Amino acid sequence: MSQSEAGDRRNSARVWRLWKGPGLTWLALVALFAVSLGSAYLPLGVGNLAINLLIAAIMIALLVTFLMDLKNARAIIRIVAAAGLFWAILMFALTFNDYLSRSY
Amino acid sequence: MSETAGALREPWPDLRLQREGVGLGMWIFLASEVLFFAALFCGFAVYRSFNVEAFRIAGAHTEIVYGSINTVLLLTSSLTMTVALRAATAELRNLTLYCLAGTAALGVAFIICKGLEYHEDLKQHLFPGPNFPLSPPATQMFWGFYWIMTGIHAVHLTGGIFVVLVVFTLFKRRIIPVQGSTMEGVAIYWHFVDSVWLVLYPLLYLAGRP
Repeated sequence: MSQSEAGDRRNSARVWRLWKGPGLTWLALVALFAVSLGSAYLPLGVGNLAINLLIAAIMIALLVTFLMDLKNARAIIRIVAAAGLFWAILMFALTFNDYLSRSY
Repeated sequence: MSETAGALREPWPDLRLQREGVGLGMWIFLASEVLFFAALFCGFAVYRSFNVEAFRIAGAHTEIVYGSINTVLLLTSSLTMTVALRAATAELRNLTLYCLAGTAALGVAFIICKGLEYHEDLKQHLFPGPNFPLSPPATQMFWGFYWIMTGIHAVHLTGGIFVVLVVFTLFKRRIIPVQGSTMEGVAIYWHFVDSVWLVLYPLLYLAGRP
């Protein structure tokens, strides 16, 4: 095997490793999308939206963890990401605390 | 001066820390974006809680084929963007350029699909105001949210495509090296726009299907 052939092989192995992890995450995301779309046509009443939002939450968790690489991020970056989620949850909790407790 | 040395900026001691600095800055910006979109989702949730049936009727009229195609396009663009970032870190310049071009192309395909979808919606007069075809009147609230939320998302995506094309050109002309910290910020922003769509899809397209 010549030197350039060995170099090409090393390069394609590197490229394959780059695609492998994100590719598996993409497959999982597309599979979850298919489940979400299919389940929308099942007559589950209020369960439809709940299931679809749960699937969306799992998909975002996969995307943030593996594609945005939060699993390897420093604690400070994780804290900032969690802060956005925390304030959003607070906004929902306080808003619905008002609207759902009104008497009209 | 080597390309790697050229990528390093003051005051960073190494490229890894520089990339983390850019990532942190982008995440702080995105935390504010999360609240911006969360306010829209919260408004949608409040109005839906008072008009469940009207939102179900209105939701059955969105174009699920376009919505589903766009979901797959965005998921795939997130794959190419991730590989572009990793290829840039590994100093694989050509792969970075190919993946950036693929990401921009998928983003443009999304916008074209969205345009076709808007055309179908407008043909059916699904815009709140006089001659709105659905009843009860609260269905207009759903469609008001539909136009605002998908419109703002499309503006964010268009901004993302523009930035990807600018970065692609700068890399291609070797004005900035691929292994710098630029890709870090671009990739995180792109994934965020994708994740917003993952919430919009079940709320606007899947609700009201059974």
